[in-house]
Amino acid sequence: MTVAERTRRDDAVRPAPGPRRRRAGAGRPWLLLAPGLLVMGGLLLYPLVRVLVLSLQDFGLRELVSGRTDWVGLDNYVQLLGDADLWTTVLPNTILFAVVAVALTVVFGTLVALLLVRLSPVVRGVVTTAIMVAWAMPAVTGTYVWVFAFAPGDGVVVQGLDALGLVDAATANPFAGRASFFAVAALNVVHHGFPFVALTVLAGLLTIPRELTEAAIVDGAGAWRRFRSVTFPMLRPVFAVVTVLSTIWDFKVFTQIYLMPGGDGVNRGVLTLGTWSYVESFAQNRYGLGAAIAVLLTALLLVVTVAYLRLLFREDEL
Amino acid sequence: VRAALKGLGVTGVLVFTLFPVHLMIVTALNGEANAGSRTLWPDEWTLANFAYVVGDGGFGRYLANSLVVALCTVLAGALLALLAAVAVSRFRFRFRTSVLVMVLVIQMVPVEALVIPLFIQARSLQMLDTLAGLTVVYLAFSLPFAIWTLRGFVAAVPVELEEAAYLDGASWGRMFRSVLLPLVAPGLVATSVFSFIVAWNEFIFALTFMSDEQNYTVAVGLRRFFGQHATDWGAVMAASTLITIPVMVFFVIAQKRLTDGLVAGAVKG
Repeated sequence: MTVAERTRRDDAVRPAPGPRRRRAGAGRPWLLLAPGLLVMGGLLLYPLVRVLVLSLQDFGLRELVSGRTDWVGLDNYVQLLGDADLWTTVLPNTILFAVVAVALTVVFGTLVALLLVRLSPVVRGVVTTAIMVAWAMPAVTGTYVWVFAFAPGDGVVVQGLDALGLVDAATANPFAGRASFFAVAALNVVHHGFPFVALTVLAGLLTIPRELTEAAIVDGAGAWRRFRSVTFPMLRPVFAVVTVLSTIWDFKVFTQIYLMPGGDGVNRGVLTLGTWSYVESFAQNRYGLGAAIAVLLTALLLVVTVAYLRLLFREDEL
Repeated sequence: VRAALKGLGVTGVLVFTLFPVHLMIVTALNGEANAGSRTLWPDEWTLANFAYVVGDGGFGRYLANSLVVALCTVLAGALLALLAAVAVSRFRFRFRTSVLVMVLVIQMVPVEALVIPLFIQARSLQMLDTLAGLTVVYLAFSLPFAIWTLRGFVAAVPVELEEAAYLDGASWGRMFRSVLLPLVAPGLVATSVFSFIVAWNEFIFALTFMSDEQNYTVAVGLRRFFGQHATDWGAVMAASTLITIPVMVFFVIAQKRLTDGLVAGAVKG
């Protein structure tokens, strides 16, 4: 950012007091914000504090019914961090899945956007509509359809892969193995998540002046070089936003895993932090331990979010 | 070669995006789906699965529940988000940045962390198993994104237009109604679509809060068709189609405005 730009931006943040600003009392913004802040504070922030408090208690069915509290300090965390499953299964599942899903979503979404921008308006309209259709597919029904398609034995995808000689339909069960389970889940998540990336990046691509691209072509830059030196730098804020949001969404994927066969805790090899927390709480009635797992997941997300926020703050003045 | 590659790309994207929808709809219409038929093009077409789902399956009730919850979420969400968006984009005040950061950060809070305390809370407030309890939760979930998106739209309305209204003697309320509201209407459409989808599709809270079948929303009502031993896939897919089609029509109709809204929200940060 040049000095001139920076000055202009600062001016935009602190404009000279105009007539409108004098008319508006200092309390008005808070009056306008109050209802929204109340709802978000009561149903998002306060429960977050509650879950932290719960994680320090032994909270089971008895406590739920009687309303008694039984403080146990850090016992839940000691138990959680001492659990071998956490280190060998749950954390690797959660993190690897999120990283792979985000990478695939952003790369595929960007490729689709780059394709869309090169299409004639009519074809682009058709493809965009198809993308909207994929986006509109609810997570619940989408998951059921993928489960149906990958059903062992006679699911259409399993049959198709069998015809290609890649798997043996008689024995293949995509939901049994860890890698194949998460591969199906990733396919589902990418299908659901890439439309947002594609359409947002497309919107960004359309703002890049044609002259810039043409100048790069004249200079003999190839497609990859043009993307790296022109498109990507121009669209950095857009890529930052889609990556942040995809990361946040993919880390806390719950429905798509929980509804797959074995994903609801039956197959302990495919637990993620999210499903584990839910199963401990609502299937085992160990709300304290479940809360501790949820706190761990939230802390993990917080680290990711803060890292990205710093990135965003440099790009924008909010 | 270039045209062929493009054609290949377009075909690939179309197949990938439309495959699940296609499979869902043909299975819903497949007369032999409940007999174990799994195919991309059935031999026997029927509407019996839909008739069963809405009739004996009791799915009509769940559709109505979901509709009530979603519409209440949309209306309340649009109002609260608009007020908040005006506050953060039209006024400079202390802690404004803090509020914005909170709105952004709060979107990362995982539902798994909220479902435990909110379940206990709702239980003690006797709000479990009520549509109102679910609506309030969905309202909270849809607000951060709605505020974040709407704020771009409000900021895009030139301040001069507001000033002109004041010069004409309009009060702040009058200016809000007659100038700001019509101009941010496209943004409201975009955020309303999002709030609707949040409420319509939500699964984990509906699963946890609702124990009486009468109060099921569509996302959990679907589970009824999964048997202990065999799944009635024709019915599952017919019900899934009923859930999905309205959302899709909504999406495709709102397409233009929705993408505009995202651009305003995302490109402007």
